[in-house]
Amino acid sequence: METLPLNLIDPATLQLSSAQLQALLPYLIFFGGICLALILSVVPAAKPTVTTPVICALSMVASAASLLISASPEPLFGGMLLTDTFAHFGNALFLACGVCAILLSYRYLEKQKLNYPEYYLLLSFSVLGMMLMASTLNLMVLFIALELMSLSVYVLVAFRRNDRRSNEAGVKYFILGSAASAILLYGAALVYGATLSVDLLEVSKRTLQSSAVNSPLLVLGMLCLLVGFLFKVASVPFHTWMPDVYDGAPTPITALMTTGLKAAVFITLIRVVSTWVGTPVAGVFHAVLWFSAAATFFVGNVVALKQTNVKRMLAYSSIAHTGYLLIGILAGPTHPEAFAAVLFYVTVYAIMNLGAFAVLTVLAGYGDTGLELADLSGLSERHPWLSFALACFLFSMTGLPPTAGFTAKYFLFYSAIQSGEIWLVVLAVLCSAIGAYYYLRVVVHLYMRDPVGQFATFKVSRGAIVTLGLTLALVFQLGLVPGNALRWMGGLISTDKPAQVGAR
Amino acid sequence: MAFSGNLLSWLVFAPFIWGLAGLLIPARNPSWTKYWALGGTIVAFLLSVVVYLQFDATSAAFQLQESVSWIPSLGVSYKLGLDGISLWLVMLTTFLCPLVILGAFEAVEKKHKGFFFLLLALESAMLGTFLATDAFLFYVFWEALLIPMYFLVGIWGGKDRIFAAMKFFIYTMAGSLLMLVAIFYLAYQFNVQSGMGISTSLFDLYTVKVPGDGYLSAQSLLFLAFALAFMIKVPLFPLHTWLPDAHVQAPTAGSVILAGVLLKMGGYGLIRFALPLFPDAVRLYQWPALVLGTIAISYGALIALVQTDIKKLVAYSSVSHMGYVVLGIFSLNAAGMSGAIYQMLAHGISTSGLFLVVGMIYERRHTREISAFGGLAKVMPLFAVAFLIIVLSSAALPGTNGFVGEFLILLGLWQTAPVLAVFSALGVILGAFYLLWMFQRVMYGKVNGEENAQLKDLSTREILVLVPLIVAIFWMGMAPGFWFSKMQPSVDALVSKYQASAVAELRKVSP
Repeated sequence: METLPLNLIDPATLQLSSAQLQALLPYLIFFGGICLALILSVVPAAKPTVTTPVICALSMVASAASLLISASPEPLFGGMLLTDTFAHFGNALFLACGVCAILLSYRYLEKQKLNYPEYYLLLSFSVLGMMLMASTLNLMVLFIALELMSLSVYVLVAFRRNDRRSNEAGVKYFILGSAASAILLYGAALVYGATLSVDLLEVSKRTLQSSAVNSPLLVLGMLCLLVGFLFKVASVPFHTWMPDVYDGAPTPITALMTTGLKAAVFITLIRVVSTWVGTPVAGVFHAVLWFSAAATFFVGNVVALKQTNVKRMLAYSSIAHTGYLLIGILAGPTHPEAFAAVLFYVTVYAIMNLGAFAVLTVLAGYGDTGLELADLSGLSERHPWLSFALACFLFSMTGLPPTAGFTAKYFLFYSAIQSGEIWLVVLAVLCSAIGAYYYLRVVVHLYMRDPVGQFATFKVSRGAIVTLGLTLALVFQLGLVPGNALRWMGGLISTDKPAQVGAR
Repeated sequence: MAFSGNLLSWLVFAPFIWGLAGLLIPARNPSWTKYWALGGTIVAFLLSVVVYLQFDATSAAFQLQESVSWIPSLGVSYKLGLDGISLWLVMLTTFLCPLVILGAFEAVEKKHKGFFFLLLALESAMLGTFLATDAFLFYVFWEALLIPMYFLVGIWGGKDRIFAAMKFFIYTMAGSLLMLVAIFYLAYQFNVQSGMGISTSLFDLYTVKVPGDGYLSAQSLLFLAFALAFMIKVPLFPLHTWLPDAHVQAPTAGSVILAGVLLKMGGYGLIRFALPLFPDAVRLYQWPALVLGTIAISYGALIALVQTDIKKLVAYSSVSHMGYVVLGIFSLNAAGMSGAIYQMLAHGISTSGLFLVVGMIYERRHTREISAFGGLAKVMPLFAVAFLIIVLSSAALPGTNGFVGEFLILLGLWQTAPVLAVFSALGVILGAFYLLWMFQRVMYGKVNGEENAQLKDLSTREILVLVPLIVAIFWMGMAPGFWFSKMQPSVDALVSKYQASAVAELRKVSP
């Protein structure tokens, strides 16, 4: 038997050179910031309810700024950490989602009488988890990052502790999420058993070198990995937890889950799937992903039709968008541009969803009431700008020009056509026509129905204004002149070796 | 001139920008908003006149072209241009919009700013659709115009406005999404075949060759994807069911735009995209399309016959009249094609007139039931004259614009399918029947009821709305040569593709 790779870690690899330190900067700054906030959060004199969110947000911004100087094409720590531009793109996205979630949370938590500093700490830790997850292809590190992210989110989901729905959501998510993590871990074990490596790049290399490695064990292991990921993005048939969880969680956390968390899983999935290129594993998974994608966008769209609560409707619509994204993941191995399309779509989805949830956060009354469709009737009379923004985000989710949602769908479906998935795309566009109904139904309430009863009074917080302004501007910018963004994301995929299968 | 280089862009975006500026007018001055919007549409009309003057009618080529790279990685560019076919449709749009706005002066009771802004935005989107020569850009305008229309029907419409707005939106969107997939496929095939990179430019897509043998070949499927989108818009029986809902529920301005311009986009799309892109498939599906068109004519007319609501009657008359357009296009010869385009223009004018007239009596009586009226001719003589002229033009009386189009279409159809031409000609009779019967019940006989006896005749504003339409009806009816001369080269170029290949096939058969 050959030497086990785990024995290969010698102390020398744990020495940090200055270049490596620079590459680690975003993670270290962020981690340092969280630790500072953690310490201050127990010092009453430091007014933790104010300082914690400020420190967390600032460290996110600082971490994002340091992304500019820290990209390193070389893997760190024997391949355990990849801090390439691809990872940094993801990191920037997660940090942006995190900052927006904090901006939205402050007023929301006051309104819900839940203003506790640990909320922001957990939120930051989950974002750190997302960052690490997108920066690795080592299954051990991946698992730890995933758990860091998930465990923080489990608690956050149940954070509205005086509400039964939130508690139920937290427990449900925890139990099912743990099961999924276990399956993922089991998959990692099987992959290691089959190939003697936990580094997916190495696995891919060995698979290509000798066909003996290509055992059913490996396929089963990879399948378990995939199931773990599909669970996290709530793809059918692993979606049942999701509407309750999204509905029960505090609204800004739902925003973070549908944007940052989902983006993190998809960005990781791009890395994982791209290591399959050329290996026999890819063929097996094509069928799995095909049916999963089709079922996901179908179920998501059809069930969303029946929802009368806007938050829950957006939860189901999130399932539908997961389905579209899976088409890109499926097409990627044969046509790498599809991965760029997934990146673009996941970014655009994050932008429009953050915007829509920003509006919902403003509207939500105590205990997350006031989010029924009927509550939105005639909103355009009272809050023309708020309804205009929400309508724009909904049109963008429908995929209508000239919004970013259209460009994203166009790019995604177009690259899927190029890789030959014509019928899947036909199904997807038909389902997105179904989707138009439930998005537009909200617009009907905003603009075409008269208000029912009295409006709950609410003020639009400054954080929400900033979030709305940014997201709205981006929805139109990426809708009208997406050229540069598309080219740049295309570049991430083709130039970045680890993202695009170093082993090819 | 300062904007001579991008005249078409100015034309497309002027109404929208004008409308945005109009949003700054304080809401307490609704009349300022109205005159501002009217000014915007008149500016657009003047711009289109400049376009008309610069247009060279001897050439079939696209003129006044503009091209700017837009999204290079997707092969998308911003391309505008017009030929003889789009020229008249653009003129129709810019001609109708001021009349629509003038006609809506009294009708809008709430949210004036939004209403007039959406109309101007709609005008921009419609002009963009007719002028785009890039498939992506075309699709963007095509879909974008759903949004203002959706709001116009949904906010200012009748009792069932929300249902109608939804149905209109989803029906149209479902159809056009498949067209989008087909555009993807063509753009991709262009790269595969030419190696020049992906492109959505119409001129590049025209060069793509797709295998077209059989009813389910690639070309046929692509054709069906495009045709579905366009035939929903036309609308061709049996895809017309959104039309009565949307037309009836929409406010008068919305109905006029829907009938006057939006339906034409379906016919325009068939001519601009489906015919040149998929010659084999068009020939395969020529017969089904002709049969459906023939059915649509009689079906629409028969349903119109039994309507008790004038607006519904006019809506179903559109189904019938647009059936002729499909027949003309799928005759695949010069007579049919020019007839179809002429019929689109004529229908745009006469049906807009009908909707405006219906709107005028609705504003007076707040009902559209035929039985509620009677003997209006005695009370409103001017109105009666205008109404009669418009009805006769819609019924295709010789001397009016409706006759020229239908005559040419039947002529063209006779060369392709004499049997269907006979059946379609019967539709002309039915058309005269339901229109004149309606006119008789509403306008002649005894004045029934106190309310009808006190109706006011046309106001100066209403006369200003109707006179341009009546002038156009007679001008197009008496001097069709003027209108044909501009579009003939483009029509010939389009049809020659079919006739040349027909000749080539004949040569193949006889050695």
